[in-house]
Amino acid sequence: MTALQIIFLITAVITLGAAAMVVITRNLVHAALWLIMTFFGISVLYVLLNAGFLAVAQVVIYIGAISILMIFAIMLTRRVQQDFGPQTNAAWPWALVIAAALFGGLIWIFSGWGNFFTQAPVMGERADPLRQLGMALVSPEQYVIPFEVASVMLTAALIGAIMVAWERK
Amino acid sequence: MNVQDLYAISPLIVLVTWATLLILVDVYIIRDRNGGTPILAALGLLVAMGFAIAQTGQQYTAFNGMAVVDGFAIFLQVLFLGSGLVGIALAYNYLQRMGIERSEYYILLLYSISGMMLMAIAADLIVVFLALELLSIPLYVLAGFGRPKVEPEEAALKYFLLGAFAGGFVVYGIALAFGATATTSLAGIVQAVNAGSANLTLLSIGAALILIGLGFKVAAVPFHMWTPDVYQGAPSAVTAFMSVGAKAGGFAALLRVFVSALPELAADLSPVLWVLAALTMILGNVVAIAQGNIKRLLAYSSIAHAGYILMALVVFGNTQVSSDAVAAALFYLVAYAVTSFGAWAVVIALEKAEQKGLALDDYAGLGRKYPGLAAAMAVFMLSFTGVPPTLGFVGKLYLFRTVLEGGFIWLAVIGVLTSLVSAYYYLRIVVIMYMRDGDPQVHAEPWLRLTAGVTAVATVVLSLYAGPLFAWASQAVLKLF
Amino acid sequence: MIPLSYFLVFAAALFSIGLYGVLARRNAIAILMGVELMLNAVNINLVAFWRYITPTQIAGQAFAVMVFAVAAAEVAVGLALVISIYRRRNTVVADDIDLLKF
Repeated sequence: MTALQIIFLITAVITLGAAAMVVITRNLVHAALWLIMTFFGISVLYVLLNAGFLAVAQVVIYIGAISILMIFAIMLTRRVQQDFGPQTNAAWPWALVIAAALFGGLIWIFSGWGNFFTQAPVMGERADPLRQLGMALVSPEQYVIPFEVASVMLTAALIGAIMVAWERK
Repeated sequence: MNVQDLYAISPLIVLVTWATLLILVDVYIIRDRNGGTPILAALGLLVAMGFAIAQTGQQYTAFNGMAVVDGFAIFLQVLFLGSGLVGIALAYNYLQRMGIERSEYYILLLYSISGMMLMAIAADLIVVFLALELLSIPLYVLAGFGRPKVEPEEAALKYFLLGAFAGGFVVYGIALAFGATATTSLAGIVQAVNAGSANLTLLSIGAALILIGLGFKVAAVPFHMWTPDVYQGAPSAVTAFMSVGAKAGGFAALLRVFVSALPELAADLSPVLWVLAALTMILGNVVAIAQGNIKRLLAYSSIAHAGYILMALVVFGNTQVSSDAVAAALFYLVAYAVTSFGAWAVVIALEKAEQKGLALDDYAGLGRKYPGLAAAMAVFMLSFTGVPPTLGFVGKLYLFRTVLEGGFIWLAVIGVLTSLVSAYYYLRIVVIMYMRDGDPQVHAEPWLRLTAGVTAVATVVLSLYAGPLFAWASQAVLKLF
Repeated sequence: MIPLSYFLVFAAALFSIGLYGVLARRNAIAILMGVELMLNAVNINLVAFWRYITPTQIAGQAFAVMVFAVAAAEVAVGLALVISIYRRRNTVVADDIDLLKF
């Protein structure tokens, strides 16, 4: 077992544990904090995958924006979050069965795949994924359509969110 | 990039630009809330439709295989733009009457339609996913448009949570398909499968996850649970648009992805689709019988119709009939859109504030007091059932024919039997309208009357020219890229 | 070195945990957190496939960026709806937000 594998395993265990806490814990503020921990663990995995830009974006977008937005929402609706009723619905055992079945099924499918245990090819000295990504996102030959559509989608979401949340007197 | 690339997405560019400028025009120039925003929005749809129609007969890919212009894409783009026009006509007076008139409605509608149009031209799974989200996110907001009432917002939240959940499945499926074939382009997937470099098991599981996610979008059983509540809670004008636009958008994705990229997986996936289609037809029609609220009834009816369209998808792997099947599905989508919009126009005409006027009993006496409206409603109900001479009948005829050609006799039998079951609850509405006395109150504003009238006439008249129309639809699809 | 299987198993587990969260929780914000976990699992998959299978094409990373944008847009709209409902009803723990039972 190499050092990288040990780092991966430690990160993975912490991240999955935090993710499990997100869905288990009763207190929503705690859930949001566990969520931040999960996101952080995932950004470490991006580093292990040589995707530095995504690691940074993960911290900035998921931790900096999405988690904080959730914490705001939890704070703004605080009276509800102190509700001490059950936090899970009656069907939670079924949810557990479905989730476990999906996990088992996926692993079973993966294990029959030739590439499952493949090792990462060596990145060339001159490989520059960040530059490649930047070029790809605005190149008409590659991803300019999804890129522009994402911006339209964000505009629409922004208008929609303002419309919903803005209390017109 | 060359000019042709831009030309390929010109309807989309026009619509998105129009919507974005409309925000500014609305804020700085129109100001007055009852002003011309809906008219301008409709004008934008017409201009975009002009650009879409101008591409008729062409076939090419743009942006290095990200988007594709073909008969299928043009046909669906025109359908989406047309449903946007009807969506505006249905909403115009309804929003004023319910006191929820906001010009953002029309802007969000335009954004949602641009998502659907993108879905029609998508030739890459990344674009499919983004189009799905672009069409859905404005719809979540529109579904909650009935403020200050609570029901619409709860409907919107439920629709949002299920939509986001379904989106997660779609994108996981796409990720697995990407892993299996090392590409996200639909053409690339076909190449990888033909070259034998793809892992078919992984691709199948990816396709199954995509199917689950899109199954939520088109309300196929067992992923339909949200439909009745959301359709009932959302403002009727939005429900009408949702029941046509979102469903057609979901089917556009299903048809495009399954027929053009995954025919090799038919052995695994056809049985799954068979079961889904059968379940959807049976459950939708049987549960609809028990409904006493017209919006819930139409919700289950729309579930059932998703089942009929899914029948066309069952034969997707059989290259001999798959193009016929896609044509039949498109034809049925048009028939369903026309009929459904008409029925919703009548529902909106009878709806009163506070969710009143939606019980089936409120339709008693409609035949005597408003013969025109009642006749239109009767036509729509007959078309939903599939009685000639209506579009619904011809649509079902073509669907059953392709299913039989594909060799799925039992599925066609189930389709016919469930249609018979559906006659019970559709005709019950007709009976209530004509046989029972009552004092229905109707707000038949000009746009509503126009919509109901035009769709009723179209339902009957177009069915008389079904042959040429179907030939035209097949023409559109034979050129499926 | 780390084989691809590690990342795929991790992503599948994360996706399943998120799925459980979506199906089992009653609170709308908690359900949304489950959806975020699912989308993160997908991103891990996409980036892992990029690194192990198509390192020369950037498709996986570009797709992951799009998923980021979608997640942000969904969260904005979803939380706006949550807050708006809370203002009127003083709850977001509605039993009718039970996704398995309708």
